[in-house]
Amino acid sequence: MSNIIEFKNVSKTYDSGTHALNNCSLNIEKGEFVFIVGASGAGKSTFLKLIMHEETPSRGTIIVNGTNVSTLKRKKVPYLRRNMGIVFQDFRLIDKMTVYDNVAFAMRAIGARPSAVKKRVPYILNLVGLSHKAQNRPSELSGGEQQRVSLARALVNNPSIIIADEPTGNIDPEMSYEIIGLLSEINAQGTTILVVTHEHQLVRRFNKRVIEIEKGKVISDTKEPVITDEEVEFDDSKFELDPLPDDLAEAIEQAERAVEETPEEELSQSAPETTEETEEAVSDESEDKEAQQCE
Amino acid sequence: MRMTGFSYLIKEGFKNVWNNRIMSIASVCVLISCLVLTGSAVLFSMNVANLVDKVSDNNETTVYLKDEVSKVEAVYIGRDIEKLKNVTEAKYFPKEEALADFKSTLGDEVFDNMKNDNPLPDAFKVTMDDLSKYDSTVKQILKINGVDKITSQKELARKLASINDLVQVLSIAIVLALGVISLFIISNTIRATMHSRRFEISIMKSVGATDSFVRIPFVVEGMVIGLISAVLSTAALFFLYDLLMEIVTSLIHVATIPFSSVFWFVAGSFILAGLVIGALSGFISIRKYLKKEGNEILGW
Repeated sequence: MSNIIEFKNVSKTYDSGTHALNNCSLNIEKGEFVFIVGASGAGKSTFLKLIMHEETPSRGTIIVNGTNVSTLKRKKVPYLRRNMGIVFQDFRLIDKMTVYDNVAFAMRAIGARPSAVKKRVPYILNLVGLSHKAQNRPSELSGGEQQRVSLARALVNNPSIIIADEPTGNIDPEMSYEIIGLLSEINAQGTTILVVTHEHQLVRRFNKRVIEIEKGKVISDTKEPVITDEEVEFDDSKFELDPLPDDLAEAIEQAERAVEETPEEELSQSAPETTEETEEAVSDESEDKEAQQCE
Repeated sequence: MRMTGFSYLIKEGFKNVWNNRIMSIASVCVLISCLVLTGSAVLFSMNVANLVDKVSDNNETTVYLKDEVSKVEAVYIGRDIEKLKNVTEAKYFPKEEALADFKSTLGDEVFDNMKNDNPLPDAFKVTMDDLSKYDSTVKQILKINGVDKITSQKELARKLASINDLVQVLSIAIVLALGVISLFIISNTIRATMHSRRFEISIMKSVGATDSFVRIPFVVEGMVIGLISAVLSTAALFFLYDLLMEIVTSLIHVATIPFSSVFWFVAGSFILAGLVIGALSGFISIRKYLKKEGNEILGW
């Protein structure tokens, strides 16, 4: 398959002297689904800006859809962007417009015929499952729904690449899975998807290519295995407990011995008088046991 | 550019005017005052030019006689003037007639305190055959005994023309200064619209709208403001001009240009000026935004 995005030794240094990207090379093939992860300030946003030609590289070559973006003339930039659908973290919906008009706006802005708008917008709204909210204002929708409108707007001009910058940053985890699921479905139709995120949990759920950027460099480029919910939530085998301090262990032992030696009747009566120290010791002990079981 | 998309953007431009109506009204008011002032200057200049033309057409030269010249002597002087080659007619214009003329133009009251004392000299109104020989003929007349001085309408015409030149220079200065002011005010209005629509601009740019597409609604907004101002200015000037001319003609008896004869000139120029200034304001204010990208547009 041919590459849709190629970075060849790309560096970007801002006027302020910040080195946002440092000799970065990578290829993204047509129809791929790629997560881009990294801490804030790692260079993820610069990476996206360079693809969208919001910034130009200081060095190196960027090829998007067969066009050398690094040397692209200003006048040609709009036509490059028509191949891309952008999804923002903060949705960027216009609240004085209805959901329908927000989506239609992206078509009208590039001079689409009204008949084409009429045909395409309901289709896309149906695709993201928001046909019934077409006449609502964005502020009347939940975060997840708003992001779906944003996604619909990104999709409406039939782009070959969808670029989502922290699309799940402002919505709850349930909705996040739904949005990424929707992007996966779109990806299945052949659209290339680029998702910038810092939610590792989310990345682990989907078996996709993950590019990790740190300090302006690609530090890993892998395909992470799918991990189920169960594994993610209950896998605490990696935790190693330190051995208990000697005095605490002794205290526990003493307490245990005392309990064994005391007749049952007495024990039930004296229970309320148990000191705080013993209580703590008891609970620590039980935790310790549990941990050992897991190992 | 397809016309279908175009009509949507024009509609957006009209919407901008309405959504931002307070600023739009302010812009319209400023532009009206600019246009009316400019229009008044131009109309004043046109009236002066008209007067100059009329005066120049009238090639009568007035030859004033010295005070001591008697009525009989005057008759001889008149004959001497008429004998000159270039003179076709020398009409006697006694001081009584001159006074009556003044009274009818300026009103009786002005002359009340003069009683029977008439300071005006007797004169001849001389018509010349060939105005190119004017200067030599004047010299010949001045040689005749009893002739004091000569004034001609040509002199007046020359003076009026120099006033007109001044008025024209002034009106050009007014036009330029007010043009710049209105440009500034309207572009500020549009900038306010742009600020409130920065989300739309950033989205338009991110989906691949061309610069001209982003620009059109704002240029249209400016043009709509210009057009509204032009129409209102024409109406305002119509009332103002009529009122002013009434006052002027009641003071001095001069022929003024009726507004109806310049209506289309005024309306046409105002509309053209309004549209150009409006469009230019839109152009100037959006330029800054077009250069920005992504979050810069939003000011982040």
